[in-house]
Amino acid sequence: MNLIREIWQSIVRRDPLSTDKGKSELVFLNVWLHIHPAKVKKENLRFRYTFYLGFITFFLFMILVTTGIALMCYYRPFPPQAYQDMKDLQFVVFMGPFLRSMHRWAAHAMVVCVFLHMCRVFYSGSYKKPRQFNWVIGVLLLLLTLGLSFTGYLLPWDQLAYWAITVGTNIGSYAPLVGGQVRELLLGGHTVGEAALIRFYVLHVAVLPSLMILLTVVHFWRIRKDGGLSRPTWRLKPSRPEALVTIGAPPETAPLKTVPASKDKTYGLMEVVTGKPIFETITPEEEEDAVFSYPYAFFREAIALMVTVTGIMAISLFFHAPLEALANPAKTPNPAKAPWYFLGLQELVSHSALLGGVVAPALMVLALLAIPYFDRNPSRRPSDRKWAIWLFTIFVVVNLVLIVIGTFFRGPGWAFVPPWVHVVAGAE
Amino acid sequence: MVALGSGVAVSLGAVVRFLVPSVFYEPPQTFKIGNPADFPFGPPTFLADEKIFVFRDREKGFAVASAVCTHLGCTVGYFQSDQRFHCPCHGSVFAANGAVQHGPAPKALNWFEVTMTRDGQLRVDKDKVVPSNYRLMV
Amino acid sequence: MGRRLPQIFFALSMLALALIVAAVWQASTPSWKNYQHSFLQLEAQEEPNAVTKAAVLATPPQIHQTLLPGLQRVDRCTTCHLGVDDPTMKNAPEPFRYHAGLGPHIPSKFGCTICHGGQGLATDKDDAHGKVQFWDTPLLSKDYIRASCGRCHKEGDVPGVPELTEGRRLFETQGCRGCHKLNGVGGSIGPDLTEEGASHRSPDWLERHFLAPNVVSAGSAMPNFHFDREQARALTYYMLSLTNEEMGSYYSSVRLIPSPEYGRQLFVAKDCIVCHAIGGTGAKAGPDLLGVTKRHSPEWLDEQLVNPQLVYPGSSMPEYDLETNARKALVAFMSSATAQDAQNILAHRGNALTPADVAIEAGKRDFARFGCAGCHGTELQGGVPNPNAQGGQVPSLLHVSDDYTKDEVIEIIRNGKVPPLDKASGPTPPLYMPSWKHLLSDEDIHQLVDFLWSKQEKAKDAW
Repeated sequence: MNLIREIWQSIVRRDPLSTDKGKSELVFLNVWLHIHPAKVKKENLRFRYTFYLGFITFFLFMILVTTGIALMCYYRPFPPQAYQDMKDLQFVVFMGPFLRSMHRWAAHAMVVCVFLHMCRVFYSGSYKKPRQFNWVIGVLLLLLTLGLSFTGYLLPWDQLAYWAITVGTNIGSYAPLVGGQVRELLLGGHTVGEAALIRFYVLHVAVLPSLMILLTVVHFWRIRKDGGLSRPTWRLKPSRPEALVTIGAPPETAPLKTVPASKDKTYGLMEVVTGKPIFETITPEEEEDAVFSYPYAFFREAIALMVTVTGIMAISLFFHAPLEALANPAKTPNPAKAPWYFLGLQELVSHSALLGGVVAPALMVLALLAIPYFDRNPSRRPSDRKWAIWLFTIFVVVNLVLIVIGTFFRGPGWAFVPPWVHVVAGAE
Repeated sequence: MVALGSGVAVSLGAVVRFLVPSVFYEPPQTFKIGNPADFPFGPPTFLADEKIFVFRDREKGFAVASAVCTHLGCTVGYFQSDQRFHCPCHGSVFAANGAVQHGPAPKALNWFEVTMTRDGQLRVDKDKVVPSNYRLMV
Repeated sequence: MGRRLPQIFFALSMLALALIVAAVWQASTPSWKNYQHSFLQLEAQEEPNAVTKAAVLATPPQIHQTLLPGLQRVDRCTTCHLGVDDPTMKNAPEPFRYHAGLGPHIPSKFGCTICHGGQGLATDKDDAHGKVQFWDTPLLSKDYIRASCGRCHKEGDVPGVPELTEGRRLFETQGCRGCHKLNGVGGSIGPDLTEEGASHRSPDWLERHFLAPNVVSAGSAMPNFHFDREQARALTYYMLSLTNEEMGSYYSSVRLIPSPEYGRQLFVAKDCIVCHAIGGTGAKAGPDLLGVTKRHSPEWLDEQLVNPQLVYPGSSMPEYDLETNARKALVAFMSSATAQDAQNILAHRGNALTPADVAIEAGKRDFARFGCAGCHGTELQGGVPNPNAQGGQVPSLLHVSDDYTKDEVIEIIRNGKVPPLDKASGPTPPLYMPSWKHLLSDEDIHQLVDFLWSKQEKAKDAW
């Protein structure tokens, strides 16, 4: 009836989605969706361009937050009860094993995807001007992801958790001057104990997720303000090269062109100010390369969400996250291994504490942060960037090899034992 | 549409079921209180931990009443002199069958189901409230 | 591009839905529900009344849990083992069978895992029985369940478990303390056994180890004591009982169950035989104590021990300052004491001992108590292998007076001694003489040396 329509229209005030105006309003009249542009460039939608890795990482984070909050209903962060609660989740909580497994596999997947996303952004050169700072925020998000994974690793309070964090915090203590103190601050004591557990819990459920969300918001915002995702400009139709985007500020103030009003476009009255625009300017001809976010972008995103969710659910149905014996400070497993994403570091540390534990990781992080400012080549075209691509690939491969060695080739006493000789428990 | 609706329903159902605890870290609601021979006739036996009165009548058998006042939860006392329950907190008075006679209590005292187990013990189930004339004949 | 996207999305949503349903189904069909269903069928069979039969079959499935904060555990075994307290299930198939013979150890107060082992928190069969990776205390086999009695019952003889008494006796007499500490007393050559029961070594391993230490624990210096199967089992029982875990007072109070043996020791220590007889054997100053617990209540006897004058004013029985447990133990001893016991007590008192004899007796007691026999032998014969020590073995003590003065031996006992090497380049011998000055007073050490000297054999003539 009319009342129902009136109630509906008081909530949903846009035009119907069959109209262009409606499609635009869906985006910018909606608080959740208006981070998107009303229209996106066609090239940005291609799967092979981004593999949707950024979205997948974000959806994994949302899965982690949801399952994490559910798990919080049954988990107490105190040493005797924590392990018991993990057992309760395994045996008496409805869908306990499923939710816990989803949380664990999504966490591993997120570390992998955030790394792959970084690789994609590098290989597409999308960290170059004007997107340098967004790359920096991305590196910070990577560090936050590792931090969340590390703090969460301790919470089950089993042998794996306890010793992985003991090894991990010991690696961190090699940092000069502040290493020991930061370790004690993190642990709330000299060894991993109840103080460490509650601190890691607070970091894991409150501090780090808040920082993650804040930085993610900035990360998405900057994509818009940087002019959207980068595009392989050298591949676009060569017929109108001068109509393509100008990167950065034009040498002189761009002349304002008059454009006939379109009935499909909405106009807002904005202040006209003098000065150079810092982001990409769009010329009207380009609008032909753009398609409405609804439905072209949104359905792709929704599919990426579905693939992520169903993938994690399917894995969780068949493979339940393991739980080892109760943490026992008196009984060190041999070998004691850090979480898998730190095994590369542990391998380096086994050769030299200072070089491996401090210098190498610090240099890696600094190098990553410096990439956009160090790389003076303004071109994103692969053929112009052979050096950069090679260097980065070597960096990735070295890291992978180190992690593989640490996982499969190191046995008791950190001796080099190939996996086909001796059964080595791989780190989780 | 149907699929979406059923999907939402199943998910909501699962969420609610997840939040309902399957086990309780509390004293159990059903428990054994001992053999019938352990309970005398006449004045009821008060079990402090379980907060119940166990009545045993020669003709009619066993009955178990809650000792928790229905007003605000204080523990009532039974006085043989006037055969009534008195609550010390705000003066509620309940008759021998648990009905409210006086005071701010809004409803009568609960009577709980008591049954016989196969090893000859009495079992009380606090989750099952029975009428005040319920008796277990032994 | 237009049509396909919504279709793919729709298909994936259906897949997600299917997976959610699968997850809900997986969570709703745990194995314990099947067991409960079977049990209800069993119960309903015996129910003649159709109404109650229907009610029984309609019982909703539920996890049953026994909260045991005093034992620091939660047991969920009764989720499947539904007939443990139901005598009508005597002949039911497992897991529904009735558990007879529990006595005071009712499941609601004790749970199951404190005696049987296993993982009480679990609700499926393999996990609950502890036969999975990462659970160190699987179900004890039938042969060893009674060893768990010793976890609470630490004093005296445990009825029905003679292995524990025998195990304890063997431990004290075979000299185990010479190398192993127990409750702070003993040597440091082998591991501390105070919490051996909590180390989660399997009973099988323990028993094999007692039979052949070197084979089971490679490189161990522990000599082979040539125990037979029964002795090894008794010792295994004793080891399994050494858990020393935290328990609520309701449970740990049974650690103080009065034992007649303890009472006997007190009877001897306080020299009651000086005034009392048992069954005619002994002194006549006080009443004969045979069957005294049949004539008087335990409370009366307890009062008598606390305040003899109250019951018999003018009595010459002194007031002994005994604590509650000691008094209970004495009463326990008197309930079973016979004339034979009095005979043994008198025999051991023997004639008045000279101070020298007293010292030798004390030294002999310490020799056994502190485990010297473990390395030097119960007859002081030595002979335990000690690779690369001069002589290749732990020395006999029967000729120690030939090579050392008393003071030198006192020094060795106080400060210990590392045996001289046979081959200087070879490995360090695994066994050595520990330093005892922290555990034994000077007087104790003197008495030990007196005992040693009393055992010296004359040196064989050189020719």
